[in-house]
Amino acid sequence: MGEALTVSERTGLGIATVMARRGVDAAAIGAVLGCALPGGPGWRNGGDLSAIGTGPGTWLVMTETGSGDFAEDLTQRFRGLASVTDQSSAYAVFRLSGHDARTLLQRGVSIDLHPAAFAPGSAATSMISHIGVIFWQMDDAPTYEVAVFRSLAGSFRHWLDSVAATL
Amino acid sequence: MRLPCPYCGNRDAAEFVYRGDAAPRRPDGEAGMFDYVYLRDNRAGEMRELWYHAQGCRNWIVVTRDTVTHEIHGSELARDNKR
Repeated sequence: MGEALTVSERTGLGIATVMARRGVDAAAIGAVLGCALPGGPGWRNGGDLSAIGTGPGTWLVMTETGSGDFAEDLTQRFRGLASVTDQSSAYAVFRLSGHDARTLLQRGVSIDLHPAAFAPGSAATSMISHIGVIFWQMDDAPTYEVAVFRSLAGSFRHWLDSVAATL
Repeated sequence: MRLPCPYCGNRDAAEFVYRGDAAPRRPDGEAGMFDYVYLRDNRAGEMRELWYHAQGCRNWIVVTRDTVTHEIHGSELARDNKR
């Protein structure tokens, strides 16, 4: 068994919100993106892209190889299909991994994180300690990633450290 | 109380903003505008209500709820409930 809990921050990500135009479905957008999109609140990974469902016809799309042109590139590719907003500098993304990660996250959200209810590929938009969060599970370690508004990242980290100290 | 968001699933009521009766429809002209803006029934029993999932998918939903027992009979996206 690995570390009980590892916390790290993902940096250098390209992040964009993609909102489908009326009548455009997830399949049409996924085909252009080259990454299958979740039809509901979920996380999908394809190539160097990942997509998180945050609402009907709305996804947060992320790339590890984020350049400053990521959102602009998506805007061009989705012309007529979807609206794109650059979020690369808007979110801080934390990665929580290890067998204590579920317990830690569960103390922040009133959503059932039991493996039967929330598994790899699941995602949710909710709040932790009054801070709006988008989080998703990536594997069975379990590993989660949590996106918070960058200006609240310090407050989120304070919550995280406080709870981690009690584990 | 937990509300069934059609997109997110069951969520704590604290994530939502309450708007009230989903029945009023905006009139085409000035006639009936006062009633539309200001007058609401205060019903005891089953009622269709607008809720905004502010801390979730950020969508308006219509929840069918009994205001006496708090029993919830269902919900749908408000966009699917347009005139």
